[in-house]
Amino acid sequence: MALNKRRFDALIIGAGGAGLNAAVQFANTNARVAVVSKVFPTRSHTVAAQGGVNAALANVMPDNWHWHMFDTVKGSDYLGDQDSIEYMCREAIPTVYELEHNGVPFSRLDNGKIYQRAFGGQSQNFGGAQAARTCAAADRTGHAILHSLYQQNVRARTHFFDEYFAIDLIRDNEGAILGALVLEIETGEPLLIEAKATVLATGGCGQVFRTTSNAHINTGDGMAMALRAGVPLMDMEFYQFHPTGIAGKGMLITEGVRGEGGYLINKDGERFMERYAPNAKDLASRDVVSRAIVTEVKEGRGCGPNGDHVLLKLDHLGEEIIQKRLPGIRESGKIFAGVDAAVEPLPVFPTAHYIMGGIPTDRYGRVIVPHGSGEEVVPGLYAAGEAACVSVHGANRLGGNSLLDILVFGRAAGLHVLDNMEEHHRPMNEDSVDQAMQSLQRWDRKGDGLSVRELRDEFRKTMEDHAGVFRTEEIMSEGVEKIKALRKKMDDVVLTDHSKVFNTARIEALELQNLMDCGIALAASALARKESRGAHSRPDYPDRNDAEWMKHSLYYLEGDRIDFKPVQTKPLTVDSFPPKERVY
Amino acid sequence: MKFRISRYNPDVDSEPYMQEFDIEVSRGMMLRDALLEVKRQDETFNFRHSCGEGVCGSDGVNVNGTNKLACITAIADLKEPVEVRPFPGRPIIRDLVVDMSQFYQQYKAVDPWLVREDPMPEQEILQSPEDRDKLDGLYECIMCGCCSTSCPSFWWNPEKFHGPQALLSAWRFLADSRDQATDERLDKLEGPYKLFRCHTIMNCVEVCPKGLNPTQAIGNIKNLMLKKAI
Amino acid sequence: MSRKASGLKAWVIQRVTAIYIAVFSIYLVGALITDAPINYAEWKGWFAGSVMSVATLLFVLSVLMHAWVGVRDVLIDYVWNTSQRVIALSVVATILIACALWATQALVLARLV
Repeated sequence: MALNKRRFDALIIGAGGAGLNAAVQFANTNARVAVVSKVFPTRSHTVAAQGGVNAALANVMPDNWHWHMFDTVKGSDYLGDQDSIEYMCREAIPTVYELEHNGVPFSRLDNGKIYQRAFGGQSQNFGGAQAARTCAAADRTGHAILHSLYQQNVRARTHFFDEYFAIDLIRDNEGAILGALVLEIETGEPLLIEAKATVLATGGCGQVFRTTSNAHINTGDGMAMALRAGVPLMDMEFYQFHPTGIAGKGMLITEGVRGEGGYLINKDGERFMERYAPNAKDLASRDVVSRAIVTEVKEGRGCGPNGDHVLLKLDHLGEEIIQKRLPGIRESGKIFAGVDAAVEPLPVFPTAHYIMGGIPTDRYGRVIVPHGSGEEVVPGLYAAGEAACVSVHGANRLGGNSLLDILVFGRAAGLHVLDNMEEHHRPMNEDSVDQAMQSLQRWDRKGDGLSVRELRDEFRKTMEDHAGVFRTEEIMSEGVEKIKALRKKMDDVVLTDHSKVFNTARIEALELQNLMDCGIALAASALARKESRGAHSRPDYPDRNDAEWMKHSLYYLEGDRIDFKPVQTKPLTVDSFPPKERVY
Repeated sequence: MKFRISRYNPDVDSEPYMQEFDIEVSRGMMLRDALLEVKRQDETFNFRHSCGEGVCGSDGVNVNGTNKLACITAIADLKEPVEVRPFPGRPIIRDLVVDMSQFYQQYKAVDPWLVREDPMPEQEILQSPEDRDKLDGLYECIMCGCCSTSCPSFWWNPEKFHGPQALLSAWRFLADSRDQATDERLDKLEGPYKLFRCHTIMNCVEVCPKGLNPTQAIGNIKNLMLKKAI
Repeated sequence: MSRKASGLKAWVIQRVTAIYIAVFSIYLVGALITDAPINYAEWKGWFAGSVMSVATLLFVLSVLMHAWVGVRDVLIDYVWNTSQRVIALSVVATILIACALWATQALVLARLV
């Protein structure tokens, strides 16, 4: 049977904040854009972002983008590229105003301006007093932004392929990307979408871990597709554990709770963050707070019958503030922890949250790979959002910078695609299409074998045990071998469901393949980096080593090879922030 | 614990049937966890789900006769045997997965975006906290579809009646002090179907997992229409 | 009751007529309890009064309009076939108009004869 084909000028894979903000740039142009999403767009995980988006609007306290830039560079533990960081912090301001004009229902101050709250790692005057930089719509900012962006795309009549799963990129022999093979989930029919430019905006891969704040859909599909297309992934060892997930469950409790005045206590009722970060206290950077919580628990000061978590106290804020600024948190606490946060403290423990690494791009969203002594762009391929690594977050992301990243660089990618549109489509490469078709048809195999479920459970547990928070040489090298062995076992997996109609077993098999590729990238990169920096904490190399390790790591799927490239320390217009010891 | 779950695969079944599953229940378990357990027992079972915390709106199902979000429905609150069916009134694609396209079309039909005729200011459009408060209880909608698929008026006229979700969205923009398309929005809602099929049955209010009140929003639209007409 | 009485107008008619029907019914019941007419002549005299005859006529029209909106709603909900619905609506309209004419005739006759 002939393969169905469609042609567009641009193809965007993923309909979260990055994908939708890229797509909306095509409104009122003649260019034809398609957005492919494996779920209905408002189900994308941007919807779960709570606290807000950073921009130096100075609505509450004095602020400017340069201070924001300093905080981001420091937060990144000096691994972020300072040109991209400058660009993002400058663009933050018009980006938030544009969002507001697009209808986002931000909370308001008495003077009618956008409400801003304090978040971790924010300072005035390059490391001075706490700043309030996070623009918020109560504690549902991601939801408010995602819905508004979807609405603007409905208005712009963007062509959506809802509930289509992207299987693989199609590329020609020069390595240029020609589009993607996708699968209509409802019918099980494959579809070839040809495009002059393809934007990967597929989000993170939090499902590699067992306990995560990430949704079921966050399976690193775009990152894995890039890997299989020969593109390396950058800085994959930097995985952020959010300090305050609901203990034992992983659902996120926003940093905004601490921004509004909540704080952490151990079993003695001690406000322990004062010991770890005397100035910033509970609003220190996320890696710092997460490590502090793990240390408290390890040293026997954890709460609960098993001493396995700490408590987040916010009842002193009063019911009115909680109901106005943190209604969603109160609801989640009641449902998942059985605790009314307005009365009692919430049990929390760090939860896998965000991958700082991803597909390497420049600040226009173009995917760039090392070539000779320099770099070159992959023709026709862009990436934005959590799937990409620009890199603005370096070794640790600040709260409120992820929504900012997806919006700024989603938009930048969309605009760059538009402004640099090729005249014609490149000729299709049938070999590449056949290869993609094979990775789909592989799941038609019948007979005895392993189940996706067994392998997935084993894989996620291995990731948690060997590539989670505790990273010693021994634990990690064992982990990498185990994960490679699991990858081999993938060949033995057989599905029992071969129906075409809405076959989620087949989707989960394809997702597991993607998770494995991301998981190996993460574990192998973590094993390679012999220093502690930001979220990457190694007891056997406890210090940051700028002389040898101030460089980005690159993982290639072929031969599981690791390479490195320098950090861009030169900003666009201002002076560089040289590495300093990082204290809060 | 006994679960009776609606199964349907158009490739082999002529109509949906109920299948029984025995699921071991643990403390704090949600219905979504139980459905995942069913999928562990039987890979061919299908349902939509994602965030697991009640914000993405994927896993709306009909449980013991009521529409609910599986991920925030505690098993402990359900009567045994737990009967899980797809949303009523929608074409079934497979198992608990239904075709929601008419629901989305109705949403798109109310022009769910902010309309501003004035030139945009360089900074934000100002809005007082009191005006912003008017959006509370409206913008939080997650489009799960629990309301519209429990509404008899939507069952009878899904192609013409907007349904509670879309009408809540319509009021979300009418209530926004920044929006400048009040007249056009109200004109578009005229006629016997789009708005006026609501007979205040209030199933929508009862089932909304986010505690929103579409019936009140619909009443507000009617009152505003009346005020504009006088 | 034209085709244009589709959305808002129908909704308003239903509510306004409901209020009038309620008010008039309360008056009627009250009057019957406190000072009920004892024979045909008194009945006739009561309804032949100019205020009462207009009020009664309005009441009858209100009931009929209220009924029209209600029945139309039910038919819109349950009868989807256009021709069937037109027939059903025509039958209902004919009956309602007949009732209106009959009531008018009775009230006019009460004043004339």
